[in-house]
Amino acid sequence: HTTGTDAVHVEEEQRLRTELRERFLRSLILMSNKEVYFSMYERVQVQAKFGASDIDILNFQVSDLQTPLGVQKEAILRCQDIISYSFDL
Amino acid sequence: MQDWCKKRPHEWHKYINQEVRVTAHDKNEYQGWVFTVDPVSGSVVLVTLHGQQSTSVRVVMGHAVRDVEVLKEGDEEIAQQLNALFMPAGSQVLTN
Repeated sequence: HTTGTDAVHVEEEQRLRTELRERFLRSLILMSNKEVYFSMYERVQVQAKFGASDIDILNFQVSDLQTPLGVQKEAILRCQDIISYSFDL
Repeated sequence: MQDWCKKRPHEWHKYINQEVRVTAHDKNEYQGWVFTVDPVSGSVVLVTLHGQQSTSVRVVMGHAVRDVEVLKEGDEEIAQQLNALFMPAGSQVLTN
């Protein structure tokens, strides 16, 4: 093989990566200000209004977090503690 | 499938518009149409279409994904339905 075909390959991977990422960011935009249900580790379920995410998607900023211990007006959820989350359109 | 997060973009890209069953941590299973896989975290964005009435989105975090099984190939109609949900309203084609 040649370095030329490698460059084409890298470019194609980068294009696919961009498309996948753009779609993911659109899903975050769609989620803003919606009620989101979070399934956390240890079978904990919480519900909150989604605000924003940091650029690395390590943390979610949420409002009115409803937990088994009460309601938190403002909170940060660590993404590593979340198994999945869902919202209705 | 412990190395789900280490897959290459072209491998994740093949799942777009496919109906899949994702098995996650603690044997949690989720079914839906794949809108995308975040190439940074490996998180899978699934859409469940319940007819005209309701549509829901479920995102399974990449670190919790154990297995992804393809159930059905999506067609152009599914692709258009998914795109219409996520793309900005201004870019949608409106008909009378």
